[in-house]
Amino acid sequence: MSPLPGANRMEQLVESIAERVVNLVLDAIDINAIVAQVDMDAVLSKVDVDSIVSKVDVDGLIDRVDVQKIIDRVDVDEIVSRVDVDEIVSRVDVEKIIERVDVEKIIERVDIDSLVQQTELGTIIAHSTSGIASEALDVVRAQGVGLDDFIARWVNRILRRSSADWPAGPEKLLEVPPAPVPSLPAEVSPS
Amino acid sequence: MKPPTPADIGRQGNYAGAVTRLVAFAADIGASWGIFTLALAGLGFAINLVTGKQVNLTSRQILALIAIIIWEFVYFAYQWALGGKTIGMALLGIRVVATDGDPITPKQAVIRTVTLPLSFLLFGLGFLGILLNKDRHALHDRLAKTVVVYSWDARAARLRWLAKQEPVPPA
Repeated sequence: MSPLPGANRMEQLVESIAERVVNLVLDAIDINAIVAQVDMDAVLSKVDVDSIVSKVDVDGLIDRVDVQKIIDRVDVDEIVSRVDVDEIVSRVDVEKIIERVDVEKIIERVDIDSLVQQTELGTIIAHSTSGIASEALDVVRAQGVGLDDFIARWVNRILRRSSADWPAGPEKLLEVPPAPVPSLPAEVSPS
Repeated sequence: MKPPTPADIGRQGNYAGAVTRLVAFAADIGASWGIFTLALAGLGFAINLVTGKQVNLTSRQILALIAIIIWEFVYFAYQWALGGKTIGMALLGIRVVATDGDPITPKQAVIRTVTLPLSFLLFGLGFLGILLNKDRHALHDRLAKTVVVYSWDARAARLRWLAKQEPVPPA
């Protein structure tokens, strides 16, 4: 309670006047016009965004977000239809991608035997090679190789030795092992 | 007919074994003797045609021996120097290369041909290395610094064989 009589009424009067004045001033001011005059870049440059961001609990924020719901709302077809695939493809360095591909490994996965038997490739190969003579030669050679192995095995057995560590042939003539696949740069490698 | 087995696939560059080398050598002896005999018969026929005289080397054995030795030297040395393989070796799908895998040089071809008879000495002991050594060196291989390797594409041979079979419906 105020010590002077009538002070309360005076106070109320002043408050109502101030309230009225503020309302009148606010009505008179065009906020949008003022905002339009503000140099937002200058304002933002003074703001320490890092400091603000560092205070934000991003993990907590993400935990609250229902990503599935967002994805459900996304019209992928609509997005894809807007994407200029040709433009993206033209930016891709195909040569670089091919360099990273281990072709040897891919070929190893291909069952060439079944490919030859199941496709026209077999007919093409059959037509492209000579007939009985080469077939007979192949068989004679194959039998020779088989007998070579058989004798080598028995010699090793008699001498009680293993040829597992022996070189199969001169290094230059043996098949070169596939080169290791270069690892992807950190920024594109999957996490 | 039995196909080349999967174990035979991809043998290019591997050291060739004793049986293949022996069969190739036998084929070479047959081929060189066949060519020599035909050439001799042709020469005798030509001499007979021109001079009317009969040429018979059986009565001149030393001359025949020298002719055969020279011919065998030319037969092997020339073919090895040319492409690392003789007729017999080409048939069996093997070839001679330097120990490091490089093509054989004419010098190596000559050394190999000259030293080949040495491997026959002492009941063919020089050939034992083909069975016993890890790089299947015979004595003449060691002296000429050469090795014999498979040169035929066993994989292509298998594909050729498969291609001739009835197509199998996909599983």
